[in-house]
Amino acid sequence: MSQKQINVASITSVDSKKQKTKWDNLISRLKREKTLWIISGIALVWVAIFAYAPMYGILFAFYNYQPGLGLAQSEFVGLKYFKEFFLLPDVWLILRNTLVISGLNLTIGFVAPIIFALLLNEISNVHFKKAVQTISYLPHFVSWVVVASIMFTLLGNEGVVNEVLIKLGFIEKPIRFMGEGKNFWALLTAANIWKSVGWSAIIYISAIAGVDQELYQAGAVDGLSRFGMVWHITLPSIAPTIILLFILGIGGILNAGFEQQLLIGAPQTRDYHEVIDTYVYRYGIQLGRYSFATAVGVMKSVIGFGLVILSNTLSKKVTDMSLF
Amino acid sequence: MRPPYIKNSIGGKIFDVFLVIFMLLFSFIMIYPFYNQLIISLNEGLDTTRGGLYFYPRVPTLQNYVYMFKRGNLLRGAIVSIARVIVGTATTIFCSGILAYVTTVKDFSGRRFMRIVYLITMYFGGGMIPTYLLISKLGLMDTFTVYWLPGLFNAYYMLLIASYIYGLPESLTESARIDGAGDLRIYIQIILPLCLPVLAAIAVMAGVGHWNSWFDVMIYNPSGKWDTLQVHLRRILLDVEQLQKLKSDQQQAAEMRKLTPESIRAATTMIVTIPIVIVYPLMQKYFVGGITIGAVKG
Repeated sequence: MSQKQINVASITSVDSKKQKTKWDNLISRLKREKTLWIISGIALVWVAIFAYAPMYGILFAFYNYQPGLGLAQSEFVGLKYFKEFFLLPDVWLILRNTLVISGLNLTIGFVAPIIFALLLNEISNVHFKKAVQTISYLPHFVSWVVVASIMFTLLGNEGVVNEVLIKLGFIEKPIRFMGEGKNFWALLTAANIWKSVGWSAIIYISAIAGVDQELYQAGAVDGLSRFGMVWHITLPSIAPTIILLFILGIGGILNAGFEQQLLIGAPQTRDYHEVIDTYVYRYGIQLGRYSFATAVGVMKSVIGFGLVILSNTLSKKVTDMSLF
Repeated sequence: MRPPYIKNSIGGKIFDVFLVIFMLLFSFIMIYPFYNQLIISLNEGLDTTRGGLYFYPRVPTLQNYVYMFKRGNLLRGAIVSIARVIVGTATTIFCSGILAYVTTVKDFSGRRFMRIVYLITMYFGGGMIPTYLLISKLGLMDTFTVYWLPGLFNAYYMLLIASYIYGLPESLTESARIDGAGDLRIYIQIILPLCLPVLAAIAVMAGVGHWNSWFDVMIYNPSGKWDTLQVHLRRILLDVEQLQKLKSDQQQAAEMRKLTPESIRAATTMIVTIPIVIVYPLMQKYFVGGITIGAVKG
């Protein structure tokens, strides 16, 4: 009996000793990591406010939120705003514009940088190649405001493009490029490609540079021509990059651009330029319908997320390549 | 250079000629729109409306620029823009860098946690409206702070810098630690100087982003107190008020009669674009470097 008690006592004392050392360890650790925790603390406060608080703000979509009131005082309305969006007369127009503009970017706008990269790779003079590539980046670095301003000047009624076309006898009266709904999609796609073709090509150019030179040597032995090499060696070699970027593109199909539409679009072209993002901006910030606009934004994100997963699974099944 | 084992047929040589022509045309299309703005900005406004202005200014003048600096508040816009680039870039680099450092200290117990908390922000966000409401709730509307505070820590930059720090020899920080240097000191005196290449890449990305951004200026600065150059340009582009201001200015002063909205807009466009045109070829290698780091990291 007494033996047992002693045993128990010794066990508990060992236990408390262990705890003490554990506790001590923690304290000494925190002391040692004091600076690191202070830095982390600041970073955590910042991320809580500027990244996680807006995520919490998504809940506004389910309430009738009024500025000045908290969520607790606001009325819970469930999915009312989500339904409202689909009952709008504009909804099909907006979805159509979003999908058409994205679709154009994902087809013509997607192929253009690949072709550009392949063509650039065929230039044999290194300096010329480098110069063309550098020039091709330029539009990427300027803002959409600048691009819009340039477009208004170049494509205006008295702009150089109309002037040259008239002088060459192609047209008699100046074409109204800007402010004409029917031209908007073509104009926007052209502007998107002009701005991004060189920049988007970088990733393909570096993929082409990474192709094993021995493949080309083997191709030469097998009698492949220059164009045969592009078709049978270069393209298959960069196919993984192409597919990966295409998956990313499908995931972003609801991001049809935003700044472009706000700057190039005019009230007359609204039927062609209004996309989901500009709609959220107009209703949320300009008209102050916060809850409704948040709901539209949330819906867009959820569908976009679903599309990424879907295209990723498809690609995994069909091509054995995927993002995650 | 094309390796010698790739034979060039006659068809290939013809193709080469067309390729050079195509690339020259391509370069022209990339450059000429900017050049066109340049000559319009250097030409007398009224003369420009006569048309036929293609490659050089016909009636050279600087009055478009003079007007914008004198009357258009452009100088203040330029100062705000430059301040935004400097403050925004410096703070985001220092803070994202220190965050990256924290996530790379080998035996720091909060390292994984911090990394995950920030990684989540790369994939999920609140969207435009909740962010807008937050900014207005925090009282950041119509302040300069709104340009740099919401971008202080950046998860993507954190990843880029952290992957660079992992590549540095560990012995450097260890020996400093043995010598008694604190974490802040290790970060500032050892990590930052060693990370210069990646920091330069990020500086260009962030700097160009700050210089070019206009949408946040527009929605977070309704009073126009902290307008940047981009927003000035947008206003000349789309606001009717600005045109009326120009008209009333023209009625007051004779030397302004020859100005047109197009010529003034061209001058502003050039002021916004020229710094970029000067900087980007120099920074190209950093930019491309940044992309490839990002690509490797997935």
